[in-house]
Amino acid sequence: MVGNAPAIAVQLAGLAVAPLLPGTIQTIKARLQGRRGASPLQPYRELRRLWRKQSVAPHDTTFVYRLAPSLSAAALACALLVVPVGASTVGWFGSDMLVLVGLLAVARFATAAAAWDPGGGFSLMGAARDLMFSVFAEPLLLLALVLVAVGPRSTDLVRMASAAGDANIVSTPAHWCAALAFGLVVLVETGRQPIDNPDTHLELTMVHESPLLEYAGRDLAMLQWTAAARHWLMLVLAAGLFIPLPLTAPWSVLALAAAVAALCAVVALVETSLAKMRILRVPVLLGAGVATCMIGLASWIAGGTT
Amino acid sequence: MTPLAWVLIVGVAVTVAGIAVSAVPCTLRTGLTVQAIGVALIGIAGAAVVVGAASVGSQFSNSLGPTIGIDPLSGFFIASIALVSTPALVYACGYLSGSHHAPAIAVTSGVFVLALFGVVIARDAVTFLMMWELMSLAPAVTILLVSRNAESCRSVLVYLGSTHLAGVGVWLSMLALAHLGAFTDPHALAAQPTVIRSLLAGAALLGFGTKAGLMPFHSWLPRAHPAAPGHVSAVMSGVMIKVALYGLVRMLFEWLAPLPEWVAPLLLGAAALSCVAGVLYALMQHELKRLLAFHSVENVGIIALGLAASLLAAEAGQLQLAALAFAAAMLHTLNHALFKSLLFLCAGSFQRQVGKLDLDRLGGLLRTMPVTGTAFLAGSMAIAGVPPFNGFASEWLTLQALVQLALHGGQASAPMGALAAAALAATAALAVFCFVKVVGLVLLGAHRQKVVASSQEVPASMTGPVIFLAVLCLAIGVVPAIALGPIGHLSPYGPLPASATGLTLAVPGSGTFAPLAVAAFIVGCAAALQLARRRAGTTAPSPMWICGQVPDNRLAWTSAGFTKSLRLVLAVVLRPRRTVSVELDGVLVHSVVHESEVPHLFDDLLFRPALNGILAASRVLRRTQSGSLRAYLAYLLITLAAVLAVVRLGVS
Repeated sequence: MVGNAPAIAVQLAGLAVAPLLPGTIQTIKARLQGRRGASPLQPYRELRRLWRKQSVAPHDTTFVYRLAPSLSAAALACALLVVPVGASTVGWFGSDMLVLVGLLAVARFATAAAAWDPGGGFSLMGAARDLMFSVFAEPLLLLALVLVAVGPRSTDLVRMASAAGDANIVSTPAHWCAALAFGLVVLVETGRQPIDNPDTHLELTMVHESPLLEYAGRDLAMLQWTAAARHWLMLVLAAGLFIPLPLTAPWSVLALAAAVAALCAVVALVETSLAKMRILRVPVLLGAGVATCMIGLASWIAGGTT
Repeated sequence: MTPLAWVLIVGVAVTVAGIAVSAVPCTLRTGLTVQAIGVALIGIAGAAVVVGAASVGSQFSNSLGPTIGIDPLSGFFIASIALVSTPALVYACGYLSGSHHAPAIAVTSGVFVLALFGVVIARDAVTFLMMWELMSLAPAVTILLVSRNAESCRSVLVYLGSTHLAGVGVWLSMLALAHLGAFTDPHALAAQPTVIRSLLAGAALLGFGTKAGLMPFHSWLPRAHPAAPGHVSAVMSGVMIKVALYGLVRMLFEWLAPLPEWVAPLLLGAAALSCVAGVLYALMQHELKRLLAFHSVENVGIIALGLAASLLAAEAGQLQLAALAFAAAMLHTLNHALFKSLLFLCAGSFQRQVGKLDLDRLGGLLRTMPVTGTAFLAGSMAIAGVPPFNGFASEWLTLQALVQLALHGGQASAPMGALAAAALAATAALAVFCFVKVVGLVLLGAHRQKVVASSQEVPASMTGPVIFLAVLCLAIGVVPAIALGPIGHLSPYGPLPASATGLTLAVPGSGTFAPLAVAAFIVGCAAALQLARRRAGTTAPSPMWICGQVPDNRLAWTSAGFTKSLRLVLAVVLRPRRTVSVELDGVLVHSVVHESEVPHLFDDLLFRPALNGILAASRVLRRTQSGSLRAYLAYLLITLAAVLAVVRLGVS
C-alpha cells in the first residue's frame, strides 16, 4: 500500500481537481465565442456558495429524495478511483471497465428515482430523456471499450491504458473506430452540445440539469460535483485509452494533464461549432456510433483477431 | 441410508403433512407453516449436497422404474427452490387469510412446490415427466381457484396449450434419450447420426425453452404469471421457469453431448432477443405484475446468454472461460429467483392493500407501507443491476464472460460475443429505465387514489419473508462468494479458479470486481455526505417549486408519458397504436378520448397467423369427418389397400 502512495495521492487529487474541467471548458468556449468568460475556477466558487446554503425538501418526499445526491456523489467518487490516472489506481476496487458501467448506473438510478419523488414535470422530462439516451449510450460505451480491450485482451483499465501507451495502436483501424464512438459517449455522459446544452436556462430543453431543479444548498453542490466528476471520468478515460502517452515516465502525469486539457479544448470547439440536436435525433447519432464500432470489430476480425 | 437421505424424506413427509393440515380451513396457518418447515428441510438436504459435493440416492437410469437422487446440480436447484418457496409459503399465511378458497389454494401451492422438487430429484424419464406435468398443472388449478372470469380462463388456456404443445418436445427428447441409453452413457449419442442429434436438440430446445419463457415462445408467460395469487406468482416466476432451465442445462451440458454446431449460436440469438425484447416490452407495460412477468423473460434471456457463452467457449477449447460463463448463469439463476420472488411478493402485498396494480393509479406507497416499500426498492435495484445488489454481481460475471468470449473465442465467436455483450449492456440500461419508472410510479410521489392514501402496512407474516429475501439480495451482492463458492463446482468444465470465488471476483487475465470494498466505500462516503448535509442546518420543508408553477395532480406523469421518448425513437420496431377522438359539441370541445397501446408483436405477427393457419387446416380436415358410415368404411378399405400395396412393394 505504501509503494502505491503516489498513485493514491494522484487519484484522490482527481476528486478535488474534477470541477476544474467544466470550468476550463466554459472558459475556452467563452474565448472561442469572443467573450472574456469566467475563470476556470468558477465551479469552485459556485460549490462554495451552495455549500453555505440550506437544503430544501419538498413536502411528501421520502428518503429517496434526500439520499440521492449523496449516493450519486459517492458512486461517482468510487468511479473516479476505479479509473486509472496514468498507469495505476488505488487498487481498492480493482479497475474493471464493467464495474465502471455499474457505478454510473447507480448514479443514474438515484437521480432519476429522486426526480419522481417530488414528481415535478420538468424533472421527470429530463430524467426520462437521460435514461433514454443511456439505453443507446451504454451498449456504445461497452462496444467501444471492447474494441480497446482487444489489444491487451483484458477488461482491466490499467492494462488497457498501458496497451494504449504503445504508439503502434494509432495504425489500427479498430482503435480509430473506438475513439470516434467513445467521443460520442463522452458528449452524452457529460451532457455537452450537440446532445445537451449545459448553459440553457429553458427547462423544456434541459436533459441533465432538469432532474436537479428541485434541489438546493449542499444537495445541489453534491449533484454539481457529480456532474463535474463525470467530465473528469470521461475525459481522463479518453486521454488514457486513446492517446498514446508515455505512462511510465516520471512526467507522465503532466502529459496526461496536457492531453486532458487538449480534450477540453476539443469539447469546447465542438460545443461552439454545433447547435443542440433534436432529442429524438440523438439515438440516430449514437446508432451511427454503434455502426462505427461494428466496422472496427470487422476490421479486427478480418485482421485475424490477433 | 445416509443422514441426508433421511433429511430429504422427513422434509417431504412434513410437507405432505402440512398440505393435509392446510386443507382444513381452521388450521390453514399451521398447515402453511408446517409446509414451509418441510420445504426448508428439503432445501437443507439440497444445499448440503451442493456444499459437500457428494451425491445422494441413485444416479440417472435409462429404465422406466421410479428412481430419485440428488447430485450437486440438482442440489443447487433444490436449494434455490427452497430459498424462494419457504418465504412464499410463510407469506401465504398472511396473504391467504380471509380470501376465498384459501385451503384449496394452500393445498395446490404445496403440491406445486413438491412437484418442482420432484422434477429436479427425478432420476428416470417417467418420474421426470410425471412431475413435469404436475408442475404445469398445479398453477393452472390455482389460477382458476382465484378467479374464473373470461380473461383468467383464457390465460390458463393459453398457458396450458403452449406448455403442452411444447411438452411434446420434452416428452420426445426424454423418452428418446432413455431409449438410446444417454442417461448413463455420455458417449451414447456420439454414435448416432447428426440428423437424430439435431432432432433431439431441437425438441429439447423447443420443449424446455418454451417452459423457461425464452423468446419467441414466451407468449404464455406474461398472461399466466400475473393471474396467479401473489405467492404462487413468486414461485412461478422465481423458480418454475428455472426448473425448465434445469432441464435445458441437463440436456445441453450432459445428455445431448456432443451438440450439433447450430445449437449454441441459436441459443445465444434467442437469449439476446429475450433480454432486449423482454425488457423493452416490460418497459411498455402499465400493470405491475404483467411488467414483472416480462422481466422474467428478460432474466431468463440473461441466464441463457451465460449458458450459450459457456457452450461456445467450450467449443473453442476455452474450458476455464466456459466454467466462468456457466457459473455466471447459475449465479444469475439464483439471484433472479431471489429478487423476482421478492418483487412479486411485494406486488401481492400492494394488491391486497389497494386492490388493482395499475401503475398510473398507485403512488406514494413508500410512505404508507414503509417496510414493504423499502424491500420493493431493494428488489428493484437488484433487478436493475445496480451495485451493490446481487443482480449486478451476476450481470458483471455474464458480461465478463461474453467480453472474454469476444476476445478469446476466435473469429467465429468474436462477433457473437461482442454483439451479445452490447445487447446485455442495452438490457441493463433498459432495466434501469424500467425500474426507475416502477419505483417512481408505485413508491414515490403523490398518492393517486384515495384507497392508496389510506393503505396500511401488511402484517408481520407478510413483511418478514420480503425482508428475508431483500437481505439475501444484498448479502449475495456484497459477498457473492457465499453463493459463488458452492456454484463454482457445478460446471461440467471443472471448478472456477479460487481467485474468482473470493471476496474479490478476479477473472484470470482480465478485470477484477471487489463488491465488498465498493459497497463499503459507497455506503461510507454517502453516510459522510449525509452527515455533512445535516451539519448545514435543518433541511427546510418547502412546497414543490417546479419552476414556479402550481402543482396539479391531474398533470402527474404517467407510465406511458415517462417512456414516450423511447417509444417514439423505437416506433419502427414497437409500432405503437394511438387514437385520439375529439367529440365536439357545436364548436366547443365536449370530450377528448385518447387511447394508446403497444401491441405485443409476437402475438400479432407470429402466433395469430399460426393459429389461424391451424384453424383453417382443421376446417379442411373436418370435411373428411362426415359422420356417414359408408365414408368410414371407404377410409378403411383405402387404408387396407394402401397397407397391402406397401407390403407387396416390400417397404418394411
